[in-house]
Amino acid sequence: MAQRKRRVRNRLILLTLLAVTLLTADLRGFDTVNRAQSFLRDVLHPINSAASNIFEPVGDVWNSLFSYGDLENENVALRAELAALRGAGLRAEGDSAAYQDLLNALDLTYAPNIETVTARVERGSVGNFASDVVTINKGQRDGIEAGMAVVTKAGLVGRVQQVDGVTATVQLLSDPNLVVGVRLVSTNNVGLGHALAGGVNLFVINQGPNWPTVDDVGEFPEINSAVVTDADSRYTADVPIGRVIEVRPASDELSLEVVVELANDIEDLSFVSILLTEQTNEPTAPQLVPSTSIPLDIDPNLISPDEVVPPEVP
Amino acid sequence: MTALRLAICVLLALVVQVTVFVDFRVYGVAPELLVLVAVIFGYLSGPQTGSTAAFVIGLLWDLYLPTPLGLAAVVFAVVAYGVASVRELLNETMPQFVVIVAFGTFGAIAGYALLGEVMGQRGLVNIEMLRVALVAALLNAVAAPFVRPLVGVAMHAGAQVNK
Repeated sequence: MAQRKRRVRNRLILLTLLAVTLLTADLRGFDTVNRAQSFLRDVLHPINSAASNIFEPVGDVWNSLFSYGDLENENVALRAELAALRGAGLRAEGDSAAYQDLLNALDLTYAPNIETVTARVERGSVGNFASDVVTINKGQRDGIEAGMAVVTKAGLVGRVQQVDGVTATVQLLSDPNLVVGVRLVSTNNVGLGHALAGGVNLFVINQGPNWPTVDDVGEFPEINSAVVTDADSRYTADVPIGRVIEVRPASDELSLEVVVELANDIEDLSFVSILLTEQTNEPTAPQLVPSTSIPLDIDPNLISPDEVVPPEVP
Repeated sequence: MTALRLAICVLLALVVQVTVFVDFRVYGVAPELLVLVAVIFGYLSGPQTGSTAAFVIGLLWDLYLPTPLGLAAVVFAVVAYGVASVRELLNETMPQFVVIVAFGTFGAIAGYALLGEVMGQRGLVNIEMLRVALVAALLNAVAAPFVRPLVGVAMHAGAQVNK
């Protein structure tokens, strides 16, 4: 009996050590582990894909049964949108020239010469702990690399997080851990922004080089003005992010916090495009960066909170 | 042959988890089918085989999770070991089985979140995690009596329970 117990304990210790080895290898970016994972996901992909086709109606039935209220609200909103579009359609011809002018004025050269790949969103997040990722049906074979920008016509959706042979995982802009370098079009201020935790389709910008304080009234962006990706960010410049809906003091009561409504409805994606651009370094986690002015060319990963000098109070 | 049956059983659970349970959610929480299968393995086959099988199931689940490889594996193995050890102390009845599954699921989710946070994954431990763990534990408890016979057949073990 005692021998059996010892054997069981040894087995558990062995499994724990094996797990620690795998964890260490994965965290240190050991390529063989990543490739093995990618290979296994590719092997399982046809099975999952076939099962997904079979089980999709089950999910649809479930959603229609238990999300009826949401669908009804969505229907009402779509009807209102349709009515607005009918009216807008009448003016479309005249407006198109004005629209072009507006684009030119705002310098929104939205990825005109960049090769793109269009992909279908295969599934949302699996499990209960990864709500801000989706899987798309294009991967390494289509030229996709980790870090590439994922967009729709409306603007930035997220970035490619992980690439397998035939699929890829996209980290959505709604993930507060995804930091994006942005430019406020109305003031030309550059900052770092990320999704607001718990806020639906909301994005917040509260730091950047020469980031205005609450006293810089002249530097406040206009409400409804556009926010786009900055030329110095990891993404292509001038990809739309959204529109400013609120300007308020940050939690430190000194710097400014700009709240942006995202251009895309991140929760309802069917097709996306991936901008096939060369990749630069990975982003930084916002939690590591205090809400103060930090130049974009400094990697916040290298800054410990103790080393950050708080901004001078005017 | 038993290994093949077990592999098919685990693969089926994985496929259902990443296809059906992407949409099928109760209060925004999906049932944790792989945790359920791991816990039942532990319950039916004892601490030694159960923890090893649970480790492999966790490793498979790790392929689809954003956390580092091995995180779910070690948590599943420890939970299966715990479940198997508790089972040895108790008489086998259906209510006890269901309660053990619920606690095992809660433990697995909480353990995964805690260990994930320790490993540098942010935002896993919060009130939301408690809600997810509670709802998933309840869902798994409801599903347990239906899944147990399937795992039992796959293991070629008797799926009978004293009522």
